[in-house]
Amino acid sequence: QLVSALHNLTRHVVYRGLTRAEDILSLFPENFHQNLKNLLTKIILENISAWRNEAQASQISLPRLVDMDWRVDVKTSSDSIIRMAVPTCLLQLKIQEDAALCGNNPVVSALTVELSKETLDTMLEGLGRIRDQLSAVANK
Amino acid sequence: SQQFSALTEVLFRFLTEPKEVERFLTQLSDFATMNKISLGPLKNIVKSILLVPNGALKRNLSSEQVRADFIALGLSEEKASYFAEQWKVNSPTLTRLAVGQTLMINQLIDMEWKFGVTAGSSELEKVGSIFLQLKLVIKKGSQLENVYVELTLPQFYSFLHEMERVKASLESFS
Repeated sequence: QLVSALHNLTRHVVYRGLTRAEDILSLFPENFHQNLKNLLTKIILENISAWRNEAQASQISLPRLVDMDWRVDVKTSSDSIIRMAVPTCLLQLKIQEDAALCGNNPVVSALTVELSKETLDTMLEGLGRIRDQLSAVANK
Repeated sequence: SQQFSALTEVLFRFLTEPKEVERFLTQLSDFATMNKISLGPLKNIVKSILLVPNGALKRNLSSEQVRADFIALGLSEEKASYFAEQWKVNSPTLTRLAVGQTLMINQLIDMEWKFGVTAGSSELEKVGSIFLQLKLVIKKGSQLENVYVELTLPQFYSFLHEMERVKASLESFS
């Protein structure tokens, strides 16, 4: 019962985003032991930002990008042309499935994608547009 | 020789648009009727003629080599030169088509995005964090697959930076 009450208290503080000692102290009932109340508040305040970050990290989400690697190859030959020199890009994305579903054992999968120069140019155009939109929002 | 140039035109139109098989066959049969040749033998001749440009493409032959090949096969100099000329004109398109057919693994076809703000969740009443969601359309074999992935803003800027480095690398090899 004690653990459950503590759990509810901390969850409530994290949920409401309380950051001031007065706000937390006001949650306790009137006749609560003074020193214990202060001690608990102090401990909660110390941990609050770590708990909030963790809550945000384990939020439900689409699969998240964890890492990214790339490599440029030059294709020199194929069954349709015996001699050529065509550069191509291999992009590997490490993607973590929904953190909320995986609990403590996140499932990370690696996806390797090939991009031609044309595809890359188009993608960069798109990414540039995203960057412009982000700047516009930031400057508002 | 006007016949020959008309036939050459039909052939190259097919070579540059290999998916238009119906149109090619219709044009061949029109040609046969107009010139009072029977379609069967015409088809056989066309099949043999087509072997030359296809082989030339595979082996990156120059137009002089194509011309020499045709003369060796018994075509008149005039017709061989004409064909070689057409070959020269069309070879950039044909080469691009052949390169396009080269094997690609999990080719990225398209990319869509949206970004938004997480306003709240069951754990946190007010959040206010921006995220970017990408949808990548990938060709796996003959099927298209959608991959959804979420990026934080720092990840996005890092991704953009890396892709610019890739572009510089690809350009240095072109």
